[in-house]
Amino acid sequence: MDSVTVSVYRRDPATEKEGRYVDYVVPREEGMVVLDAMKYIERHIDPTLSLRWNCMAGKCGSCSAEINNKPSLMCKTRIDSLKDGKIKVSPIAAYPLIKDLATDVSQNWDLLKRIPPFTPREGLERPWRISQVDIERSKEFKKCIECFLCQDVCHVIREHKAGYFGPRHVVKAASLDMHPLDSLDRSEFMNKDAGLGYCNITKCCTEVCPEEIHITDNAIIPEKERAVNAQYDPIAIFLRSRRKGGKR
Amino acid sequence: MEIYLVEIFDYDLVIVGSGLAGLRAAIEAARTGNGKLRIAIIAKNQLMRPHSISAEGGSAAVLYTEEGDSFDLHAYDTIKGSDYLGDQDVVEFFVRQCPVDVLELEHWGIPWARREDGRIAQRPFGGHSYPRATFASDRTGFYEVHTLYDTLLKYGNVDKYHEQFVYDFIIENNRFKGVMALDIPTGQIRIFKARAGIIATGGLGRLYGYTTYSHLVTGDGLAIALRRGMRLKDIEFIQFHPTGLVPSGILITEGVRGDGGILRNAKGERFMEKYAPTKKDLAPRDIVSRSMMTEILEGRGFKGPNGLDYLLLDFSPIGAEKIKEKLSQVREIGMHYVGIDPLESPLPVRPAAHYTMGGIDVTRTGFTGITGLWAAGEAACYSVHGANRLGANSTSECIVFGKIAGGESAKWLLKDNGMITLSEGEMSSAEDFISDAYKDKGDNDPYEIKRELWSTMDKYAYVFRNEKDLTEGLKVIRGLIERSGKISISEKGNVYNQNLISTLEMKNLVELAEVVVFSALQRKESRGSHFRTDYPKRDDENFLKHTIIQRVDGAPQITYRPVTLTKWKPEPRVY
Repeated sequence: MDSVTVSVYRRDPATEKEGRYVDYVVPREEGMVVLDAMKYIERHIDPTLSLRWNCMAGKCGSCSAEINNKPSLMCKTRIDSLKDGKIKVSPIAAYPLIKDLATDVSQNWDLLKRIPPFTPREGLERPWRISQVDIERSKEFKKCIECFLCQDVCHVIREHKAGYFGPRHVVKAASLDMHPLDSLDRSEFMNKDAGLGYCNITKCCTEVCPEEIHITDNAIIPEKERAVNAQYDPIAIFLRSRRKGGKR
Repeated sequence: MEIYLVEIFDYDLVIVGSGLAGLRAAIEAARTGNGKLRIAIIAKNQLMRPHSISAEGGSAAVLYTEEGDSFDLHAYDTIKGSDYLGDQDVVEFFVRQCPVDVLELEHWGIPWARREDGRIAQRPFGGHSYPRATFASDRTGFYEVHTLYDTLLKYGNVDKYHEQFVYDFIIENNRFKGVMALDIPTGQIRIFKARAGIIATGGLGRLYGYTTYSHLVTGDGLAIALRRGMRLKDIEFIQFHPTGLVPSGILITEGVRGDGGILRNAKGERFMEKYAPTKKDLAPRDIVSRSMMTEILEGRGFKGPNGLDYLLLDFSPIGAEKIKEKLSQVREIGMHYVGIDPLESPLPVRPAAHYTMGGIDVTRTGFTGITGLWAAGEAACYSVHGANRLGANSTSECIVFGKIAGGESAKWLLKDNGMITLSEGEMSSAEDFISDAYKDKGDNDPYEIKRELWSTMDKYAYVFRNEKDLTEGLKVIRGLIERSGKISISEKGNVYNQNLISTLEMKNLVELAEVVVFSALQRKESRGSHFRTDYPKRDDENFLKHTIIQRVDGAPQITYRPVTLTKWKPEPRVY
């Protein structure tokens, strides 16, 4: 039978200082994806392999990994799409390792909690009227499946750990800011508290997004621009000073 | 491998499961408790990745009475769809609550699709006589989960626990006291001691191999309930969704047919005209699935891989613009998983196990009969769906009854100050259960048993059933239960041990398979999704009643309970 060799990162941090790549030979099947190969390994070759997966349909965002060094979903990467048939599978590197391909992405839950929630304007007439165009605009960001591949590829997070929440969280803020009936502007929070200033728009996040969200163009840049406008716009400065005055 | 009980948490309320029902229950309990209750919501995987995200088509709700929709119409559609096994008082309550809760989601920020005038749009769905499926493109469940999750974040007194495998409920003298869980990342044991609990663990669809369910849905809550002597209701009724994508079983939403798509056989015929002259492709799911299997069995299907013979779902009547706007995900699934763009060619489909109409027997408020324990969502059987659920009614059910269970449990907790204590024995039994699971007991392979279970259920308890097949199936399943006790877990490490979890899930599944097939054998009639070729007629005289199954001294035992009828008398189901 035709087969394929997959080189998989293995490490149990409790007992091993260094990780290693182990080669497994897996039968090749028409249309198989990398996750099929991983499941085959776990079931037939080495049950000690740990990885996180669930829906197998690209919807749940569990099976993030680096396939030939590119952040990818294992369930959406077809074996026959990989050049030269070489397959190296590693855990996403931006987060602490639990074991083998399973990583601890829980810090994201705390970050998400800090972004100001959906706050509809007061006194809206019911039923709410919203145009489909506006729905589509916020829906682009609401599509995010929280696979954290954009976080993984982000060089600010990988190399500097510099207090930047990361692309996923800018997408979150944008999804709320773009709701036509929302009353808040999260751009100042994103720039001041969420470290958006560290992003220098290399667009790597957009390239790896399995949902094809235009993270840089439609979320990051508008959030950056709005904050700048608010900061340097004389009218905005005037309004801000009035607001502060009012609170005193 | 060392197993320890490392933590005992102390809560007022523990919610097991983070799908639509669990999330909605958590919000309502937090809101009702108003800061006075400590609440935990725990999930088998990461909290925002429940199987509910896979729901595609919509949530049913009567929004436009001025245009001809009405509560009575929604109730009648649901009851006729249930083949008169739905409890009519519960259905009437349910349909009145749907619009309230669907609008609540709107106010929490969900991107419901709109009409030209900016109000909420709705799409037609199978078995509904008015287009009342409220939707957010073809990812309704996904947006609902995220909207609820975001809303839950506003409440400070709800702790969230990810990747906890719950393997037992602690119940003493019919009083709920908490749950035992394995912390998957560390492999250690935690007890969530709680004065009240809500089971929202979903259905049992992974009994089947060819299914739209994700691998997560292994009926854990139902299996524990059964082991704990609780009652399951109408568990023989499994819905087969007409359009599972061959060969993976990935769901292709009914919205495709709602928006104009058509099923065709190998001769290119629109065969549904024959079986349901009025509703055609939008007849309820049980009828469409049966019609499809008839076409396939009579030789008008296409040969598929591994015996998965199929028919075609033709998108062409819908039009390219509408497909791109309203069915974008389905289109992507087609292109990605079978290399077919539905804009150009039809998709290969076949009925796939999709929904569990039955579940834990609960009252209208979600109460299980165990003091302090409620259930909601697909895990529970409120008897809204009876013998066959209508599309778009399940996500609505989750939010309606999740809210009820959350509110009821919280109100009860605020009144009841009774303390609970755990005994030494209960704590040590938590450790013993897992230590015992690690012990070498034989050389059976858990994955092999699961595969055999899948092929057994796919073969003997599918769309068409009969005495001989079910008897044979039951025999095989009992063999599998026997073998499931003679297993060695080859991975001995604690950390992220999926071998252990898979084995425990497999045990849950084989035990549930027994009661599903046992109940199906006893129901000697055809009603809704349960079709017996040896008893092809509905038999209201003998079987207009709910199946209640319980395990007594290790053996399944069935009793029956009458169906509640209010204003709709059972009549022939013609579409």
